[in-house]
Amino acid sequence: MVDVAFAVLAVITVISAILALEAKEVVYGAIALALSFVGIAGFFALLDAVFLAMFQLTVYVGAIAVLILFTVMLVRREQWLKAKEGVHRAAGVLVAIVVALGLGYLVYASTIATVIPSVEQAPFTLIGAQILTEYWLAFITLALVLASAVIGAVVLAKLERD
Amino acid sequence: MPIIRTLTSFLIRIVALIIVILVLGLIAILAAYYFIGPSFPLTPSMLINPQEAIAFTFALMDTDFFRIVVFPGFTFVALYAAIAGLWERKLLAKIQLRVGPLYAGKFEGILQPIADVLKLLFKELVIPRVVDRFFFIAAPLLTVTIATAAIAVIPVTERWVIARSDVGVLVIFAVLGFFPITALMAAWSSNSRYPMLGGLRALHQMVAYEIPLILSVLAPVVFAGSLNLIDIVEKQSSIWFALLAPISALTFYICSLAELERIPFDLPEAEPELVSGWLTEYGGMNFGLILGIAVYIKLYVLSALFTTLFLGGWLGPQPLPPEFWFIFKTFIVTTFLLIPRGVFPRLRIDLLLRQSWAVYFILALINLVVAAAAVLGGFKL
Repeated sequence: MVDVAFAVLAVITVISAILALEAKEVVYGAIALALSFVGIAGFFALLDAVFLAMFQLTVYVGAIAVLILFTVMLVRREQWLKAKEGVHRAAGVLVAIVVALGLGYLVYASTIATVIPSVEQAPFTLIGAQILTEYWLAFITLALVLASAVIGAVVLAKLERD
Repeated sequence: MPIIRTLTSFLIRIVALIIVILVLGLIAILAAYYFIGPSFPLTPSMLINPQEAIAFTFALMDTDFFRIVVFPGFTFVALYAAIAGLWERKLLAKIQLRVGPLYAGKFEGILQPIADVLKLLFKELVIPRVVDRFFFIAAPLLTVTIATAAIAVIPVTERWVIARSDVGVLVIFAVLGFFPITALMAAWSSNSRYPMLGGLRALHQMVAYEIPLILSVLAPVVFAGSLNLIDIVEKQSSIWFALLAPISALTFYICSLAELERIPFDLPEAEPELVSGWLTEYGGMNFGLILGIAVYIKLYVLSALFTTLFLGGWLGPQPLPPEFWFIFKTFIVTTFLLIPRGVFPRLRIDLLLRQSWAVYFILALINLVVAAAAVLGGFKL
């Protein structure tokens, strides 16, 4: 059952990720991107990390995919120039294959295969406690980075209006 | 011979319909058998022995299949949607000194939902030539599917819940996050001006109001110390969270009005200016799927969520069953979500967005801070 679900999710994720790059309509591409985010959330759910899966959906589908769609919607289809094909495309595919093989080899050679996963599902309260105690510095730094990004965006928008 | 051709095509459709119904029935029976099979074997003697059949029915009621398809699941919610639709029309008519639906079903238009659905089903599905066909057809279906997905984690009672999730609140917000995408799909694929304007407004509004909505939910979550909706209800046995976090409850109510695109926040589908906004190009059952089913299922989801988070869910005085209390409270909340449509004018888009970011955001934070302070100070339920 899990294997079937994994295979289906893998097919959905990979195909929609390819579609996100290759679709002629940009809106199709954006929606395919959202679909591949959903597939990744499915992987998290399969790994019993429902908390992460739900955050993947809320943040990536609910916010980032919507933001991309929003930008893409404002542009009509004729205005998108097709990128040059041929050599660039072949080089891109080659690089992607090399990176995928290298990463695959690294994961395969690492100790991840021998790690015995704990049977119990980690409660999300534990994740919260860890973030606020052991990793508080990273947490606060991230919060400050995001806050400064928002303030910067607001300031830029104000400048343009005035 | 056009008559013969019409007749044959009619006959073919009838036969196809019968085959589809038979196949669906077979699938339903097989699914029921699959879910119940090992624990309760299906025997032919059931057909003649009513007691066995009754036992089988009771056994069926405890399966996931029954939950998904019938009680807290789709059938119940679709029925609720139909009743809420009729209730809305009658209620608004009374508020505005009109009579509302009157003729269908002899008594106060009580069969009006059935008449509406029949009318929509028999209308031709008009798909304009310049639309993007795939998205145009997919958008209403997706809207209904996503709205229905949210009911999986809402507990009607402790027994009647489809999925007992530890992160139920998050599941609902993950599901709500999909709605801007379907609205945009419908708007973009229509390839027309009004839907485009409506879709962009819908996007702005949904994204802006989702944040105060999520923040206002956090106060009950902090009080209960859990994201599990069942736990949250059980923690309210002594006092409702609506009394502990009144500002959050109010913010949640206003933001769910905006999330549902109801007056005074119905800018995305403003009839007088945008001709139903992002739904302009839809007709027949495509329209009915969105406006007749999905919107009312979403209404149910948000009312049920308000009941669960703030009004103590199924908890209530004893002689009446908990199911009754949940449905009763949800219906009251639905009524309160419907009333503003009869009373208020529409907001302007800039006011709407400024309110969201400058007013409701702050309001939602106030009660969250109060809740956090109370819990840190040793307040326990």
